[in-house]
Amino acid sequence: MPPIINRDICNGCGKCVEICPLDVFFGTEKGEIPVVTYPDECFHEGSCVMDCPKGAIKLRLPLPMMIIYK
Amino acid sequence: MQEEKKRCDVLCIGGGIAGLMAAIKARELGANVIVAEKSNTLRSGAAGAGNDHFQCYIPEVHGDFDFFWRELFYGQLAGGLRKMDTEYVRYWYENTFDIVKLWDSWGIPMKYEGRYEFAGHGFPGRQLNHLKYSGKNQKPVLTGKALEKGAEIVNRVMVFDLIKDKDGSIIGAIGISTREDKVIVFEAKSVILGTGACSGMYPAVTAGAHNNRGRPLTISGDGRAMAYRAGAELKELELAAQHAGPKYLVRYGQATWVGVLRDSDGKPVGPYVTKPDKRYGDMTIEVNKAVFDEYRKSGKGPIYMDMNGISKQDLEYMVYWLQQEGNEGLLSHIAEEGINFGKSAIEFQTFEMEARGGIRANYRGETAIKGLYAAGDDVGSTISHAAVFGRSAGENAAKYAKIAKAANIEKARPDIEAEKSRLEEIRGRKDGAKWQEAISALQQIMSDYCGYVRSESLLSAGLNIIRRLKNKAHSSLMAGNAHELMHCLQLLNQIDVGELVFISAYDRKETRELHIRTDYRITNPLLNDKIHLVKQVDGKPVTEWIEVKH
Repeated sequence: MPPIINRDICNGCGKCVEICPLDVFFGTEKGEIPVVTYPDECFHEGSCVMDCPKGAIKLRLPLPMMIIYK
Repeated sequence: MQEEKKRCDVLCIGGGIAGLMAAIKARELGANVIVAEKSNTLRSGAAGAGNDHFQCYIPEVHGDFDFFWRELFYGQLAGGLRKMDTEYVRYWYENTFDIVKLWDSWGIPMKYEGRYEFAGHGFPGRQLNHLKYSGKNQKPVLTGKALEKGAEIVNRVMVFDLIKDKDGSIIGAIGISTREDKVIVFEAKSVILGTGACSGMYPAVTAGAHNNRGRPLTISGDGRAMAYRAGAELKELELAAQHAGPKYLVRYGQATWVGVLRDSDGKPVGPYVTKPDKRYGDMTIEVNKAVFDEYRKSGKGPIYMDMNGISKQDLEYMVYWLQQEGNEGLLSHIAEEGINFGKSAIEFQTFEMEARGGIRANYRGETAIKGLYAAGDDVGSTISHAAVFGRSAGENAAKYAKIAKAANIEKARPDIEAEKSRLEEIRGRKDGAKWQEAISALQQIMSDYCGYVRSESLLSAGLNIIRRLKNKAHSSLMAGNAHELMHCLQLLNQIDVGELVFISAYDRKETRELHIRTDYRITNPLLNDKIHLVKQVDGKPVTEWIEVKH
């Protein structure tokens, strides 16, 4: 579940850990690639995606939140 | 548990729009200011990922204020405005243009293509009062401004209780770090509550997905709960709110969509538009957000937000504003699904019930408690409301701090120690309830006993049940770390607010909006201009009706 971090691109700067409003990266050590400790608490507003200087994060929406259209 | 002590003149609890605007103003008046924020002010709160509508009066656009004023009551929030003192509403709109100019100068673009652009949240042919602004980075800008002015921002700290002196005035507050086991005691001459609305009281539309909501779960009614426990008045808690938007992906921004709401046969649901109109959107959703649910229940659903026929430019316009309104997550999902926005119709739904109301404060931000101020969604709603009254609260809290006697938090040492041992108990428990379990219990009680069907028998039964839950939560909640401790404290606040929703709903013996009393079907016109209050007197909740001052 969200967010998904591309380990090849992430430089461990910690921006997402700093800003995530729900603190889903709780417990991540400084300088490390972020750990998604609380994926269930993601709010999917995409702050981490917007603010990642490397573009290393994308969100995967849980299936029950799939948008409905025709 | 380790303790850290901090001292300031003005403490802003919550670093959203209101809290940051308050901090900036209080600093301008020379007060020492701390902003205590549960997340990080850069992206926290209901405005964290951005907004695109700023309700305001701009003389060069609207002309005469009195005309603007009359038209105001035909748009969004009209019902809510009638429940506010005229002095309050006038102060709000008379001060909006100053904020527009300030924000623009600070780097929040308030103009679109060089002009003030008004669109959405308005009926065709009537005045528009929602300025389109590029608010995606409003929180980083306001954070930068607060720091530049010299405010101290303390992130990842959840303040959960206010501290009073023997004479009843506020002298500080107590919080926890959400990242490590630490208590932070704030000594302050005045305190401003700007903690936001009250999310998470009712079940989310998606089972199991606690955070599939318009507002994140961090917005947990902390301000209301703290204010009540300190003796301040809460208002209109029982008048629930409901939003609507894209089905299964709960996002705010209904008025940013440029489409026509159509039923499954393609017939427009409302009378306002027949083709996508970027100026007005489709106001049907704001007249009745429950229309989606009503259609579904009557077998006429689903209802779609239909963008068919929208021009390329107007589609780009809509997408731009959805980005500003914090819908980046939704847009990337749309792109990944390969949905062709301009040729598709997105199903809309009525979202979950939300508790409404707030803390009673006047236009100066003053509450009934000396030294305690409130602003933002803790009191009302919308961005411009938070900005204007945040600034006002900051001004008045700073002025009060200048004349207030020096606070001495040590006088409340026994209370602080009692709070610390309560926290240690929750952290130390090995068997018990995690917050997720307790919030599910709260939501089912709220939904079944104080939801869309309300009556004396249901409400009195529900009040007993929520009180049982409260006792159980206090004696059984457990937290494995500081983050979970934050959730537990949020939950205890939500339960306190929930109990007051029951008490207020029981006492409102009429049907009004979503407060549907099956035993009192009529909307009582005698209550049209009255505000329903609840406050604590001698440890017990007491309700009261007061007149709106028009």
